[in-house]
Amino acid sequence: MKRLIARLENVGEVITDPVRLRTYECDGLTYHRATPGVVVLPESAEQIAAIVRLCNEYGTPFVARGSGTGLSGGALPRSDGVLIVTSRMRRVLEIDLDNRRAVVEPGVTNLAITEAVREQGFYYAPDPSSQQICSIGGNVAENSGGAHCLKYGFTVNHILACEIVTPDGDIVMLDRMDAGYDLLGAFIGSEGTLGIATKITVRLSRTPESVITVLAAYRDIAEGGRAVSAIIAAGIVPAAIEMMDALAIEAAEAAVACRYPENAGAVLIVELDGPAPEVDLQFAQLREICADAFELRVAADAAERAAIWKGRKSAFAAVGRISPAYIVQDGVVPRTSLPQVLAGIDRLSAEHGIRVANVFHAGDGNLHPLVLFDDAEPGAGERAETVSGAILDLCIEHGGSITGEHGVGVDKARYMPKMFSDTDLDTMQLVRCAFDPKGLANPGKVFPTPRLCGEVPGVRKGPHPLVEAGKAEQF
Amino acid sequence: MFGAVSVRDAGPDDDVAGVRPRWVVLPESVEEISEVLRVCTERGLAVVPVGGGTKLHWARRPDRCDVLLDLCCMNQVLEHAAGDLVVRVEAGVTMDALAAVLAGKGQELALDTPLEGATVGGTLATALAGPRSLRYGTARDLLIGVTVVLADGTVARSGGKVVKNVAGYDLGKLLTGSYGTLGVIAEATFRLHPLPSKRFWASGRVPAAREDRDDTGSTIWLPGDLDRLLHTLVTSHAEPSAIELDWPSGASEMTVSALFEGGAAEGRARAVQDLGLTDVADAPPATWARLPGDEVLIEARAPLSRVQALAVAVLGARDDAGVPAATRMWLGDHLVARIALPPDTGPAAVAAFVTTLRAGFDDDEGRIVLLAAPHEAARRVERWGRVGALQLMRRVKERFDPGGLLAPGRLPGGV
Amino acid sequence: MDPHLINDCVHCGFCLPSCPTYALWGEEMDSPRGRIHLMSQHVEGTPITPAMAGHFDACLGCMACVTACPSGVRYDKLIEQTRATVEREHERDPQDRAVRGLVFSLFPYPRRLRLLRWPMRLTGALQGFLERVHPSLGAMAALAPHVEVRQRMPRFVRARGPRRAVVGMLLGCVQREFFPQVNAATARVLSLEGCDVVIPPSQGCCGALSVHSGRSDQARRLAKRTIRVFERAGVSVIVVNAAGCGSSMKEYADLLEGTPWAARARALRVVDLAEWLAELGPAAQRNAVPLTVAYHDACHLAHAQGIRRQPRDLLRDIPGLVLKEIPESDLCCGSAGTYNIFQPQAARDLGDRKARAVSGLDADLLVSANPGCTMQIAAAMRRRGSAIRVAHTAEVLDASLRGVSP
Repeated sequence: MKRLIARLENVGEVITDPVRLRTYECDGLTYHRATPGVVVLPESAEQIAAIVRLCNEYGTPFVARGSGTGLSGGALPRSDGVLIVTSRMRRVLEIDLDNRRAVVEPGVTNLAITEAVREQGFYYAPDPSSQQICSIGGNVAENSGGAHCLKYGFTVNHILACEIVTPDGDIVMLDRMDAGYDLLGAFIGSEGTLGIATKITVRLSRTPESVITVLAAYRDIAEGGRAVSAIIAAGIVPAAIEMMDALAIEAAEAAVACRYPENAGAVLIVELDGPAPEVDLQFAQLREICADAFELRVAADAAERAAIWKGRKSAFAAVGRISPAYIVQDGVVPRTSLPQVLAGIDRLSAEHGIRVANVFHAGDGNLHPLVLFDDAEPGAGERAETVSGAILDLCIEHGGSITGEHGVGVDKARYMPKMFSDTDLDTMQLVRCAFDPKGLANPGKVFPTPRLCGEVPGVRKGPHPLVEAGKAEQF
Repeated sequence: MFGAVSVRDAGPDDDVAGVRPRWVVLPESVEEISEVLRVCTERGLAVVPVGGGTKLHWARRPDRCDVLLDLCCMNQVLEHAAGDLVVRVEAGVTMDALAAVLAGKGQELALDTPLEGATVGGTLATALAGPRSLRYGTARDLLIGVTVVLADGTVARSGGKVVKNVAGYDLGKLLTGSYGTLGVIAEATFRLHPLPSKRFWASGRVPAAREDRDDTGSTIWLPGDLDRLLHTLVTSHAEPSAIELDWPSGASEMTVSALFEGGAAEGRARAVQDLGLTDVADAPPATWARLPGDEVLIEARAPLSRVQALAVAVLGARDDAGVPAATRMWLGDHLVARIALPPDTGPAAVAAFVTTLRAGFDDDEGRIVLLAAPHEAARRVERWGRVGALQLMRRVKERFDPGGLLAPGRLPGGV
Repeated sequence: MDPHLINDCVHCGFCLPSCPTYALWGEEMDSPRGRIHLMSQHVEGTPITPAMAGHFDACLGCMACVTACPSGVRYDKLIEQTRATVEREHERDPQDRAVRGLVFSLFPYPRRLRLLRWPMRLTGALQGFLERVHPSLGAMAALAPHVEVRQRMPRFVRARGPRRAVVGMLLGCVQREFFPQVNAATARVLSLEGCDVVIPPSQGCCGALSVHSGRSDQARRLAKRTIRVFERAGVSVIVVNAAGCGSSMKEYADLLEGTPWAARARALRVVDLAEWLAELGPAAQRNAVPLTVAYHDACHLAHAQGIRRQPRDLLRDIPGLVLKEIPESDLCCGSAGTYNIFQPQAARDLGDRKARAVSGLDADLLVSANPGCTMQIAAAMRRRGSAIRVAHTAEVLDASLRGVSP
């Protein structure tokens, strides 16, 4: 490591002081911690490529990190590795409105892109709750979603091209316009295991002509859920449909005084956007559908809209106000299974004596249960872990996913075998082997154990190992 | 040879871009596909999967082809969860059949089908989308889960049946545009959209370019106002779902058509009248979402603002090669143009056309691909143009298909 | 450093974009989240290393992170406690110690500052020399304002028109010595709006600079003196026109907690001038001030006291005045009390960044509620060669109420 560090110092700024290094020991998920062997703060793609090549030379693993806000430990450092932090690469390189795109460095924050083009009537659509700080490089790594992805899709749907540094240190351009495999699509969401994005071309969207945000308060989650079903059945695709339960509302109220209706068992936030005449038609439908809400608020301007969203967007961090510790989950279920799954979560909560606040993207079945506990109370942490894991089991049982937008990272790698068979995981691993035969890029993330890549690097000749092992018979 | 799976000898209709396979094998389940591929790997037989066969003559001819794996029998819609706006289908289902099933519940897979008879699997493997990609993206944006059979018979899934899901690598994305070279797509799951209550098209004609003479008196073509018009249209608050430019061979004008979907579609279609799109109708123009031709077909991709530049380059290539060219363009994340030359165009003229077009257009950001052409013509030019990540593509191919048995050589760089 | 306050941080990172040093350097250790992590390392037993102290010293104390935090972390309290710990436990290098000693024996003492007024006229010429001796001395020289003729404030200013309230007024150390015209304007505005203004002549420093630099003993001493002076003056409301002073005085009760002084502190109500005038409502006639004004949020007003709307409303209500928002208005200008003296380079970079944002607006006048900010931004604008006139909110209001041009 010492020799590597000495050579890294020639490439860019390096942090080796142990006290400083420790501040990088975790990202937004504090449950897992590891002090990085060394931190580098590159300022260009060439520097990142040089760092990665050095890592290859010394066989040292490396992890990329943007703003460190991830919630699955995707940027958890390696104590025997290099942490490459892109927070100094935050230039907006080009704004090209004629082609509805911008080229930015990976450390630029999600919101900064929108701010750079807002006055011209454009914005960058994906809006994770942490958009004011999360970096676009991190968004690409995690394929981040956000409240508005119901209508507009995820990061992968809004990235036109990426310049990446491959795990062996080459600078390569992945472009949606290229013929052949959609390597760009495979790269986005690979959580830093296939390389590091160094230059990102994002699509800019036109700010919609009209936006109507409605807050509907219901006595309970079930009533709210029926409204969501009715909206979908009416053929409306709102920009967002969000729901919060009583406990989540309480937390948000404590944190940001969002003034949601009192005594609401659930609030539903529905945002319609698009051409004004279209939004007006949908709004008329929506009013009818939400007629049984006990309170219906319609945001009249941007300030009122921001007030409605404020409670929702700060909900995660806000539960800190009502509980000393908590775990954020990120399960997904088919939307129609929401009632059963929420009932199941209630049961788990009662069984284990652990409170669960529910915040979710109701339109696409993406749940964010916040499992609350007091870390000072002996055994509470373990019980919370049990509940949290059981919630994911519940999601898988209903044909869902263990993560809708936070990523697998280090946190959910152990759940991957519950969702995918060994063969599925081995096949995914083939992609990994193609990009990163030495397994140096963010090892230990996404996949439960190092698989095929841990074996002899190089081209696999002959049949799939699983076929040899006789496992293929299972089909 | 392939157990219980139906096999027949290949005939002239089964040629893959001019290569005659030995057998046509017709599996009826994922297990049968796996069995067939396992046997092929054991015996070193090269396999090309096929759905409706509408694009079998596209791309480079395979280095060899022993088995044509015909998925026509895999034609079940497995699960339509209307409340979840999700459908899971076998790869051999035709896009039209799927549309009919979904329409029964007021929903659709928002992918156009430029070639009639195309299957879900073929649409994914060739990454062919239509004009509505402006609003909905292409196949890769709507695909949420996939079951793939690898060369050695391994069956693997990725994604799932929920729209929002970031667990694991997205193999589905990798497979879109793979032309059967990585694995056989057996099943696919898509996110759906509600069928819009109304659809209206606004159309109008615009000059393709300005004709002028240079000092020597020869014709030259100069840019007109096309890009500005299209930029206004694309970013219009009326929010068109699709924009098509149809430019028949020999015509000096293009027809620009924009589709509007939704309850207020008619009013929105009329809102762009002042851009010159004065014909408003509730039925599509005759050419809508179809390819301009199919036997000699060139594809151009470029950033949106290059429409006018492409039009000028096409005129130059047309004059230079002396062949008429029919062009149709769709605007999405970028410009996708397809230029059809007459089926009887000679190899030299095809080569000349492509070469001139590239010289006039294929710079840092333009890509010209010869999608379909008789082998004799295709031999004379580099088919794919520039591809940024060829090395990575090769490495992926080597991992997935180490024996090089799946559609070998169909893609750039011999992949 | 209170471990409970540290544990409130959930490491979400929402504070990062609000932090001026993170904006400059993009390093975790120089963000609020990183500094809280360093605090927790210290609580867990790591001694204060020079590196650690450096990151705490680099904090401007602008409190923008407190506004940004969704979990309600009291970073203001934490950094105050931390600075005190650093002063107690950390041995600074001799040069650093000397400069800090000089500053803290000068600024909180108006009479000593007064002695500086003449030498400061010289410092312009000496700036290059001072810069070479120590960058902090150079920075002090560069910031030095053009000193107005000193005005002695009366002990009492009677309300014009019907009396609506009786208030005490804090003069502030830097304000009274270097910006006497601001105090004069403040007193006139209060009087024109119907307030009897009591100005105890024996008042000294409120202790803000000491609090913000971890000198808590000095801070408590000065706080007690200030409380005593205003108690004797017989007022229950103290109007403050310097944001840094106001925010510290609002925290007196916490500073003196556990002593009888806390209750005495609570009995006095401290209000910012804009806050007070907004609450009181306008009584005097506003005359037109046809200027384009860029309003700068002083951190200690916007973040520490949560006062953003009131000064803007007051300015907007002036006929003919066009108010412009400065981009990145949440980001500190780099002045931050004594910061521009101890961290000259960072302060300069932030000043330049702010000056860039301001000069894009094409404003006639830059208005803020803090003398430090005004000096800092004015200096940065001069460096850019786009000098701008600066004023305190009070001066603009005074001009409008009196019908003269500011």
